[in-house]
Amino acid sequence: MMRNLTQRLNLGDGRWALPCFIGVWSLLVIAPLVVLIVFSFFQTQYFMTVYKPSLYTWNDLFSSGRFEVTLRTLRIALTVTLIDLAIGFPFALWLAKGKTSRTVQAIALALLTIPFFIDLSSRIIVWRPILDEHGLINNFLLATHIASAPQHWLLYTEWPVHFVMVISNFPMMVLPIYMAINVIDDTLIAACQDLGGSPFRVLRDIILPLSLPGILGGIVFTLGSALAAWVEPSMLGGGFVDVLSNSISSAYSALRVPMVAALSTFVVVLLALLLLILTLAMRRFVRFGEVFRSMKS
Amino acid sequence: MAKAATQSATMLEARDIVHRYGPVVALDHVSITAARGEFLTILGESGSGKTTMLRVISGLERPHSVGALLIGGEDVANLPAAQRNCTTVFQSYALFPHMSVEENVAYGLKIRGVPMDERRRRVDEALNLVRLHQKSARRIGQLSGGERQRVALARAIVTRPALLLLDEPLGALDERLRYDMQTELVELHKTLGMTFIYITHSQEEALTMSDRILLMRHGRVEQAGRPEELFDRPVSRFAASFMGFENLLPCRVEHKLAGGRVVVRVAGRVFHATTVVQDALSEGSDAVLAVRAERFAPADVASDALNLLPCRPTERFYRGKYVDQRAESDAGPLRFRVWDKANSFADFAAVRCSEADCVVVPQ
Repeated sequence: MMRNLTQRLNLGDGRWALPCFIGVWSLLVIAPLVVLIVFSFFQTQYFMTVYKPSLYTWNDLFSSGRFEVTLRTLRIALTVTLIDLAIGFPFALWLAKGKTSRTVQAIALALLTIPFFIDLSSRIIVWRPILDEHGLINNFLLATHIASAPQHWLLYTEWPVHFVMVISNFPMMVLPIYMAINVIDDTLIAACQDLGGSPFRVLRDIILPLSLPGILGGIVFTLGSALAAWVEPSMLGGGFVDVLSNSISSAYSALRVPMVAALSTFVVVLLALLLLILTLAMRRFVRFGEVFRSMKS
Repeated sequence: MAKAATQSATMLEARDIVHRYGPVVALDHVSITAARGEFLTILGESGSGKTTMLRVISGLERPHSVGALLIGGEDVANLPAAQRNCTTVFQSYALFPHMSVEENVAYGLKIRGVPMDERRRRVDEALNLVRLHQKSARRIGQLSGGERQRVALARAIVTRPALLLLDEPLGALDERLRYDMQTELVELHKTLGMTFIYITHSQEEALTMSDRILLMRHGRVEQAGRPEELFDRPVSRFAASFMGFENLLPCRVEHKLAGGRVVVRVAGRVFHATTVVQDALSEGSDAVLAVRAERFAPADVASDALNLLPCRPTERFYRGKYVDQRAESDAGPLRFRVWDKANSFADFAAVRCSEADCVVVPQ
């Protein structure tokens, strides 16, 4: 199918495309990443970077109690990703195959993209007057006598951080899954039912395997952005929710560039590890090669 | 369920099915029955309601109202598609792209919880029937259109349903392959002894394959009968035109005779003709005389004889096996075929047609 399209559009055989892409991508993305990794092997003395290779920064990273921060970051990122997947998949399924009209789909998609037009900080700061001790929710709870005293856990704890991160990352999870489910041919679903498949079998045997590329995409986008989240923990965590990105920003304000480099490298390594584990775990259930190959035919 | 299916002589009984898509009536009180082991074809143009009817039978569409819907004697009107003892061969094949040929065919058995060895044996059997056993490990993307068609067939028959529904299964194949598959389908039908319900828009496919044909139009059954009946004895102008009657001439009914015979006047000439809808014709009313191109024969003189229509030759098209001759008559343009090359038909003055080949249908 893709080959036919290429021929029809006369795009040539694309022999130059891959080297071109690798070249540009190496220059713009891989090279800075390598520089970052290299920097993590330098150290800082008197606010100056000393360009002498050593493991000092890495030792510092693991000996200064960052382990707890790493665990918290991982826990929050994974929780947020799981919650988004648990809500996002059924939502995407409903949107793509739930007999929704074209108009409903267009409206829902437009609503999902609205957050991308507004700055992250402004989107998040509005939660403060809502969740605050004297905020909208507490006022409501007190006025309706649901609560007798202001609920302090609503702000500056892990709860609002989780809550708002789930919201900000929701479109990241839903959009790739929606795209993947949307292109599944309806007659495949009909064929499964026709052969005796219950709704559960349709979901497990047809929709799930065929939408796996989208699910993986959603997880990568959400997990990556949640691991690197900085605005939510610092604005709604009130200094009580210390995550890796907070460490990065504080190292940055102390001009400790090697530490920034080491922390960032660490986050990238963590993400890569998580995705590797995820892929290996999923491979037990689905053969990826088949799914991706099936998209070509 | 299986027991009821083996005992009942009627495999499908659908009575008084009504279905609407919004204001559009897709099925207008349609009733269809199929006997056990029958090859029944539902013929019609797109939008005639034939595919809707198939989806109603399979359960993929819930009709607006149902008089009765029985498959193998079992009432399935309120059963979902998954619980009906019938499978469908889809026009687009609808093969699962993430499964191999074998897995596709085995899928229905897997759902029914058939044990592994038996599943393997029956999949082999089904793939053998469609002559694809050597490609059981292939991916769907690696198969040609004809092979995909066979996989779809194998997948549908492997569960041994009471009814096999085929939704224009040959539509996407090229002509040569379609021709071969027609023969193969007929043989498969004979081997399996299963009841086939076949949807097509091609009258040629319907005529060559079916035991019985149902011609649909605007959500209604226009005519039902054996292929010969549809071919030679249309009941309406639409049925005649759809089944390929090239000449539809306006006429007036003079007398109705016994035994389905009727005397009509075409452009002043008297024709003795037959009809299967004598009750729908009344003496003195306008009707249509339908004659196939190959049933007209050229005549040298335009005498006053019965079943003779004077005409003037116009264009002539050489078609290899025959010559397509056009002519102009007082009843309108005529088309007929001349098979014998030696025959000097260039200077004919009339065409004649035997009584059996002249069919009168209501206007």
